[in-house]
Amino acid sequence: MAFTSVQFVVFLLLAATSYFLTPKRYRWVTLLIVNYIFYFMAGAWYFIYLLATTITIYFAGLKLGNMAAKNKAAFAVAKKDLDKEQKKAWKSNFTKKKRRVLIPALLFNFGILAVLKYSGFVGINLNALFAKLSMGVEIPIRSFLLPLGISFYTFQSVAYLIDVYREKYEPERNLAKFALFISFFPQIVQGPIGRFNDLAEQLYRPNSFSFERVKFGVQLMLWGAFKKLVIADRAKVIVDTVFGFPETFGGTYVAVAAVIYCIQLYGDFSGGIDIATGAAQILGIQLEKNFERPYLATSIPDFWRRWHITLGAWFRDYVFYPLSLSKFFMKVGKKGRKVFGNYIGKLLPVLIPQFIVFFLIGIWHGAEWKYIAFGFYNGTLIVLGILFDQPLKKLMEKLQIKTECFSWHFFQVLRTFILVALGKIITRAPGVSASAYLMHSMVRNWDADILTNGGLLKLGLDTQDLWVLLFSTLVLLCISLLQESGIQIREALSKQNLLFRWIIYLAAIFSLILFGVYGLNYNASDFIYRGF
Amino acid sequence: METLMKILVELRPDVDFEENKELVDSGELDSFDIVSLVGELCDAYDIEVGAEDIVPENFNSVEAIMALVERLQED
Repeated sequence: MAFTSVQFVVFLLLAATSYFLTPKRYRWVTLLIVNYIFYFMAGAWYFIYLLATTITIYFAGLKLGNMAAKNKAAFAVAKKDLDKEQKKAWKSNFTKKKRRVLIPALLFNFGILAVLKYSGFVGINLNALFAKLSMGVEIPIRSFLLPLGISFYTFQSVAYLIDVYREKYEPERNLAKFALFISFFPQIVQGPIGRFNDLAEQLYRPNSFSFERVKFGVQLMLWGAFKKLVIADRAKVIVDTVFGFPETFGGTYVAVAAVIYCIQLYGDFSGGIDIATGAAQILGIQLEKNFERPYLATSIPDFWRRWHITLGAWFRDYVFYPLSLSKFFMKVGKKGRKVFGNYIGKLLPVLIPQFIVFFLIGIWHGAEWKYIAFGFYNGTLIVLGILFDQPLKKLMEKLQIKTECFSWHFFQVLRTFILVALGKIITRAPGVSASAYLMHSMVRNWDADILTNGGLLKLGLDTQDLWVLLFSTLVLLCISLLQESGIQIREALSKQNLLFRWIIYLAAIFSLILFGVYGLNYNASDFIYRGF
Repeated sequence: METLMKILVELRPDVDFEENKELVDSGELDSFDIVSLVGELCDAYDIEVGAEDIVPENFNSVEAIMALVERLQED
């Protein structure tokens, strides 16, 4: 059930009605039933995977919670007779015990994800390797359909388990409530990835109906649908044409398609998140922010702080910090200082884990070499950025380049956008060699005339559609700039006169009806991140 | 506190550590700064800082960082 379908609107309407009509005490139960109906409608077999994750993480969390409580009580009694070393040994011993619960649960859940998502990719590459070595072995390859939102709910539940392991909070003791936490229907499809300490309480409490919240939620959903149907699905036509026929459309077409793909991906993903956030808001639940105008970022690290924020935060808290603060990387840092000097040595515990994180973010996007290349591309840019940060600052001081002015800020945004767009070519091209071919062709066959001689009309959109795409993208840009300057659009709109507000609402609704891109039977194309 | 201030100023001379009480929340210190800072703290105070200690509340101000160090020294 796509977020932009009529079925979803009807489902949401029924879900919200039944939620608010349920006595307060049982509202969370209604929400769980609604979630499970939504998930069941996506495919009955998928349900088994969701249940497996729910049950294993729930019981592992419970076990860890009970262990922590017992340990706390025992430590409180024994503490006074222990010296510093003994206390350390106690702590380390308990950590080992906890790991015996945590690691199997992680292996089981990431194992499901790995088998379903990566077994085909690993099998194909191993078979190719065996063939090259003439080993005469061939692994049978099975491809699996990915259960809806498996990456998202696995990451969300693993975050919960690690937090319980770290004793950040108590585990949830009610299985049904825990099941609710990892199945909330607006966010299970493509995120944002929620944290237990932020989301769970909102799901469990009896939210009351609020006209103001419903109004804001609907506005956000309309805005999301605009980004998806009017912008992203229109941009998709051009992107599919150019990247589908790399030999036909080289040179400037690649640059145009790369920029338009950036617009498509942002419209698609952030549009979907807006619809999810708006739907949750109607039910009185505030989801975490997943985007903060990423194309206005001034550097690649800044871009990753603004794009898919909850995934970046997940990797930071559960991969980057544990790796870079591990004893191993601390030792690497110390040895590095001796070998490479203070500056590089200090950076090593940051740089290597950062590279690993981007490798993982790459393969999170898909089981293909191009995504691994995308991870390395971003990892390399970030590492280079860190390494050259100080030397560049000194150079700019010497050259007396002003950095506190609009022109420098504009240059930084443009430079970041170009680097991001080049990265998008890697993920959108059919493969790594195709992306190299496209980038090469972009430089070699540059011909800016296509922008004025009607060349753009060869890409599948007619003049009117191109104007709609340009105008709607400008609307998106203006709104983004207003938000960047601190203006809250929906709050500002609610302060306007009734007539003006309704002109805006009607314009939004009619632009969706008139300019939304719908396929056969009025089914919009699937959301890209739904596939992850 | 003096040792801590010295470490912080060396790490980020451009930040006003005395005034800023939202070092992480305001984005002044990023994850790279935190890892470098933790490395220095471990050496200077002979403590072990785990990933579970890396929460904004522990790094938002000099006082919070000092409290973390003292707690870990006691453990």
